[in-house]
Amino acid sequence: MTPEEPANEPAEVVQLPVAPRATDIALDELELVYAFIYARVGNRPDAEDLTQQVAMKAIPRLRQGAPASAIRGYLFATARSVLGAFWSTRLGLSEAELREDLALATPPPSTPSEDRTETVQQILGKLSDNYRRVLELRFLHGYSLKEVATEMHSTVGAIKVMQLRALRAAAKLGDPE
Amino acid sequence: MNGKRENRIEKIVSDLLRGRRLKLRGGDAEEKEAIVTAARLAGARQGLQRMHPAFRKRLADVLENTPREGWVTRRAALVAGLGLAAGAAGGVLLGRSGRPEPAAAQTIEPADPLWVDVGALSDFPEGEGRRVVAGGVSAYVFRKGDTVSAVSSICSHLPCELSWDGGNGNLVCPCHPARFTPAGKPAVHYGLADLSTVHAEVKAGRVLVLGTK
Repeated sequence: MTPEEPANEPAEVVQLPVAPRATDIALDELELVYAFIYARVGNRPDAEDLTQQVAMKAIPRLRQGAPASAIRGYLFATARSVLGAFWSTRLGLSEAELREDLALATPPPSTPSEDRTETVQQILGKLSDNYRRVLELRFLHGYSLKEVATEMHSTVGAIKVMQLRALRAAAKLGDPE
Repeated sequence: MNGKRENRIEKIVSDLLRGRRLKLRGGDAEEKEAIVTAARLAGARQGLQRMHPAFRKRLADVLENTPREGWVTRRAALVAGLGLAAGAAGGVLLGRSGRPEPAAAQTIEPADPLWVDVGALSDFPEGEGRRVVAGGVSAYVFRKGDTVSAVSSICSHLPCELSWDGGNGNLVCPCHPARFTPAGKPAVHYGLADLSTVHAEVKAGRVLVLGTK
């Protein structure tokens, strides 16, 4: 037996613990997790950070080659835990207190492609006309405070107060799930 | 919440609608329901969101290149017949500790060992890695004077065959950006396990490697 030149050696193909397909499955599931998280934090930078946290925590499970359905359950459980930690850190509250108050333990939607805008419209529809209008203009139509004030024939100061009261009222109507 | 609450909520809403991070203060907890509702309204206003392609790519890199966590011990992996994957088990998950712990080198002890003659010492130039096969064990042999050392030719992270990069004096994994020194130590900055070492010796001018039939 003699030494062999590495250049002449064909690459040995071995089944990897994380095959490309497993990564693709994980990414597809993480797309759903991202949408789930984005819908709760409302901004891309936080949604990306939290989704990456979920991915990092889930890597060992993902590498076990579990079926997509099992991966999804695990990812969403992890996502809820990460979200709980996010809110408790940002608001300085215990996760237990948050979970009790804000229903953070709510399970993920069974149909991730649900039209959340429509769901939010249903919640807003239960508000009084002024509250609904201010939130629709601000959040759904992207109006500035000044534009809302003009539209509603009011002052910026009054709209600010109305916005806060409308958000409190919407929160009392329940989780927009 | 100090000052006028409506001003503070407006700042949070305004940041959300500009796509900025939620920057909250301790006093904001008094309006937690309003803030969480504002975040959900902001999240819902554009419908179902998909990951930005650049973020998806970054995430794919994380999934594929993060060293494995110690959820399977090397011994457990060997028992389970995952010998090739076992080398990676000493790695730690990036982000947990921030700084991976170095992994101790293991020496391959074949179950049915056989010293295999892999060539004359003169066939092994000093400072160059030469791949040899000793039955079921493949290794890179390095000569230093009249002695030799050997490390496994399988990457400790992904089970791929390493190649010798004479220019850099490293063993290189073709499956991901991993490099190892001739001593089997990782030459990259994240928590790879060392390569397994292989028994090798020189007898009567011949290089012997402990392999299998």
